[in-house]
Amino acid sequence: METLIKTKRVALLKEKMMAEPRYVSIEQALIITKTYEENQEKPVIIKRALALKNALLQMGIAVEPEEKIVGNRTIGVRHGVVFPESGSSWIDREFETLPIRPQDKFNVREEDIINFKKIIAPYFKEKSLEDIIRTRYGTEIDEIAKVVKINQKDHAQGHICPDCEKWLTYGPEGLKQEAIAKLQSGTKDQQDFYKSVILVMEGTQAFMMRYHDLLVEKAGQETDAANQVNMREVAVICKKLCMNPPNSFHEAVQSIWFLFVILHMESNASSFSPGRMDDFLYPFYKKDMKSGSIDKQKALEIIECIWLKFNQIVYLRNSHSAKFFAGFPIGFNIAIGGQDENGNDFSNELSFLFLKAQEHLGLPQPNLSVRLHKGTNEPLLKEAVRVVAKGSGMPQFFNDEAIISSMMNFGVSEKDARDYAIVGCVELTSQGNNLGWSDAAMFNLNKVLELTLNNGKCLLTGNAIGPDLGNLMDYKTFEELEDAFAKNISYFIDKMILACEQVEKAHIDILPSPFLSAVIDNCIQKGKDVTVGGAVYNFSGIQMIQVANLADSLAAIKLLVYEEKRISKEELLKALQNNFEGYEIIRTMLLKRAPKYGNDVAYVDELGAKWARFFSEKLSHYTNYRGGRYHTGMYTVSAHVPMGENVGASSDGRYAATPLADGGMSPVYGRDIAGPTAVLKSVSLLDNHLTTNGGLLNMKFLPEFFKTENNIDKFAKFLRTFVDLEIPHIQFNVLRKEDLLAAQKDPEKYRSLTVRVAGYTAYFTELAGELQNEIIARTSYGDL
Amino acid sequence: MNTHEKLRGKVFDVRRFSTHDGGGIRTTIFLKGCPLRCVWCQNPEGLSLKSQLIYLENQCIHCGRCTTVCKNHAITLQEGKLCIDKGAADDWEEAIDSCPAACLTMDSKSYTVEELVKLTVRDAAFFRHGGGITLSGGEPLFQKDFAIALLKAFKEEGIHTAIETSCYVEQNVVKDALLYLDLIYVDFKVFDKNKHKEWIGFTNDKIKENIRFILESNKKDQVIIRTPLIPTMTADKENISAIGKFITSIYPEVKYELLNYNPLAKAKYNLVEREYCFAENPRMYTEDEMNEFRQAARNVGVKHLIIEV
Repeated sequence: METLIKTKRVALLKEKMMAEPRYVSIEQALIITKTYEENQEKPVIIKRALALKNALLQMGIAVEPEEKIVGNRTIGVRHGVVFPESGSSWIDREFETLPIRPQDKFNVREEDIINFKKIIAPYFKEKSLEDIIRTRYGTEIDEIAKVVKINQKDHAQGHICPDCEKWLTYGPEGLKQEAIAKLQSGTKDQQDFYKSVILVMEGTQAFMMRYHDLLVEKAGQETDAANQVNMREVAVICKKLCMNPPNSFHEAVQSIWFLFVILHMESNASSFSPGRMDDFLYPFYKKDMKSGSIDKQKALEIIECIWLKFNQIVYLRNSHSAKFFAGFPIGFNIAIGGQDENGNDFSNELSFLFLKAQEHLGLPQPNLSVRLHKGTNEPLLKEAVRVVAKGSGMPQFFNDEAIISSMMNFGVSEKDARDYAIVGCVELTSQGNNLGWSDAAMFNLNKVLELTLNNGKCLLTGNAIGPDLGNLMDYKTFEELEDAFAKNISYFIDKMILACEQVEKAHIDILPSPFLSAVIDNCIQKGKDVTVGGAVYNFSGIQMIQVANLADSLAAIKLLVYEEKRISKEELLKALQNNFEGYEIIRTMLLKRAPKYGNDVAYVDELGAKWARFFSEKLSHYTNYRGGRYHTGMYTVSAHVPMGENVGASSDGRYAATPLADGGMSPVYGRDIAGPTAVLKSVSLLDNHLTTNGGLLNMKFLPEFFKTENNIDKFAKFLRTFVDLEIPHIQFNVLRKEDLLAAQKDPEKYRSLTVRVAGYTAYFTELAGELQNEIIARTSYGDL
Repeated sequence: MNTHEKLRGKVFDVRRFSTHDGGGIRTTIFLKGCPLRCVWCQNPEGLSLKSQLIYLENQCIHCGRCTTVCKNHAITLQEGKLCIDKGAADDWEEAIDSCPAACLTMDSKSYTVEELVKLTVRDAAFFRHGGGITLSGGEPLFQKDFAIALLKAFKEEGIHTAIETSCYVEQNVVKDALLYLDLIYVDFKVFDKNKHKEWIGFTNDKIKENIRFILESNKKDQVIIRTPLIPTMTADKENISAIGKFITSIYPEVKYELLNYNPLAKAKYNLVEREYCFAENPRMYTEDEMNEFRQAARNVGVKHLIIEV
């Protein structure tokens, strides 16, 4: 590729963005509260639509003179938005501590706290999603909390890929007209739905026009001639988009950004993902390139401008949730490459420009994903590896050979499966028609094993939290132990499903989302909100936590206790109950004398696969509240740390309350000692249907490994084999230990250092200390 | 049906995901035993053909279990430290089995050809993209019958084969091995006969003869001659010029590679209780210094210098 540069404009905009302090904003919360107060008697969906419309009309907006792409959901960048309909009680509790909490800090303004407590919190008390779920089902959720973490209790689900192509074809005016045409027919609920779509599209149009007006006004005050021209140009685009679909590449990119800003304003949820942007933007790019109105450098600048925008929206979570999803992950996931609808290799100049933008900016967003398959062209693969080598942890890689057929087996049509994209970190979805509810819950298999070994009692507290089926000494054979383990898993699955249903029901009652529904098939056609099941596909995803530790624990028990009898049942149980205190020899044997997952040893790998299969099969018998199927994923984001805190000493030699394996399919760090090929072999033993909701394999390489073109070629070959082995996902950290130690000592100097935490990239210096240490401790490969 | 059933080889390491020493992703098999005694040897654990007990002290928890099972009191715990009299026993099996930390281990394992092939083909999926196996050592041809049988077996599996050899073996061994080799790295360390004897223990006549043989064979284009740059010894322009002249005089299109000094070997010497040639470990050469050495080779007519970029 010819030399493409990061322009001065982009460098300046990045600098400005990075210098902005991160605040909490209650501006939209005040507008929402006022709207709700004034419209108390109206249906929830209308209240929600009016609240969004009012926010679009009233929220403060700002532009930078150099911006080619404008728009944000708050006047400042990277602000955490208080969203009272979903959760306000937790903010009431935590507001003051937001600037000092260990993970994902935000500045707060004194007057915001006062106004929040005076106006917002009292109105939404017992009315927010969070409070409703707590009242209806809080006790039951708490009872299983050490085994199952139920998600989406205080925020909207997000994790969805809108139909960008439809948005680009129709724009807000077209979608409004679609709803108007449907308004006369249908039930009261359907009519309310269409009315709400009309309201939010009116708001959208006004929002775009407000940017036009502001740009024209600012251009009048601007002294720099080039900036003036730029602002007038962007103003024209904003004005055009409120009534018409885009024609040019620049218009299309601006249009896409407005879509995502407004989706965030409506839901305040994580992970609205653009999906296959090199596909749906390509017709615009091609046309402009052909006419000569843009060249590659100009196109790249526009792309880099929206890339910066993807970093301006962050997500405010409660402190507990921030531990599970650390580093403000917002999940603008973009998938490039992969197969086209006929199974042929797909990529174009935009795919390469997106990689170039990632190389130039090295920022945590978007979450860039490359789809690989057997026919992936070598230049795209090599270019992707070169970008990985730069060290931002991106792109990550997905495997069409593993994913497409397993999605089809799960009930997705061939066309939709070939067109899959990724939401959030690694969650798989069809585009524009799928409420995948991919983070319904996380199920801690290791905690269930603990309860099985110890009469249903928690090793940390002694409390009985599961049925008493006996303890290790009661199980005469390993098979007896496995039988009890199976019963306990089924027991907690039952409990989990009931809780998930309550959460889904509360979302229907509290958080209908007409703007989102307008860009998800078949909501408009059915006159049905996406929360009620308006989408074509309605899945629910459960994460299995963590198969690596589980495999290691079971293998150690099977080999050392039941087969070789090196350790007696009594000794092991006592050792676990005492967190290995006084049992150092036992712990050493568990660690060193039993095989570990990730070393291509079937004995242990098969145990992991077997129980993942068991869990997944059990789950497949349930149907969710929207009528869709449950399926499983294997990824944790950063949840392996807090989920580990819930688990006592385990038979894999792990101390109580320490982290579990990271990633999801990855081995426990430091235990994979047979090298990267052995890791891939072990992981490949996990059937692909276990990870239709997404799987995550994390590997860390030192930058030395990428020093030469020769090694870049080896790495590409490594990925070719990854494709052949049909592993769904892989991502790489390319880091030096010294980098990380230095960054801990001097965070200011390393502010832009990014690191992959499970499925996404975060700023290393913004992670909590223990998570930083954990990343440093992970295994490294390469020529040490 | 299998003629190699009884044949066993001693292997001190099987390393998967080797990314040097041949194309693609490879598994390198390190065969034990070497006739040479280079003072800078990178794999001193591979020199002796005799299996040795290895004690990984930093993993030991000093529980003393091994002291109770080991015959002849060969292992004792004295003031919290494990003392091993390596001459006192020749069977360490029980001691090794008793160790909870797996910190007692033999420095090598004995395999049949079939066992080793089975172990290696686990990465066959990686070999399919231009990878394969590399025999290294020690001197891989030192266990000549085993090495040749192994190479033959890999070729029967359709796996690409490479070797790293000093060629300090009988010519018929080289001749037999060549039949089953796709890529041959030959170390030519020192040209001067006397210096060769001083640093390596033997003169280099046999090596020169074998290099001539290989470079005149039909596999001459699959050969890379390599010189490891050892400061104050091999890393000398005169030495490089002499080697360059010699190899180009046999085959003008010969491929030649200069290997930068590897300072990591020094750390291994504590484990094997040997003395390394440098008390003060020298640094690696810079790219500029490397280029000067390369120029010396070019000046005498070397046309194909292998440089990793």
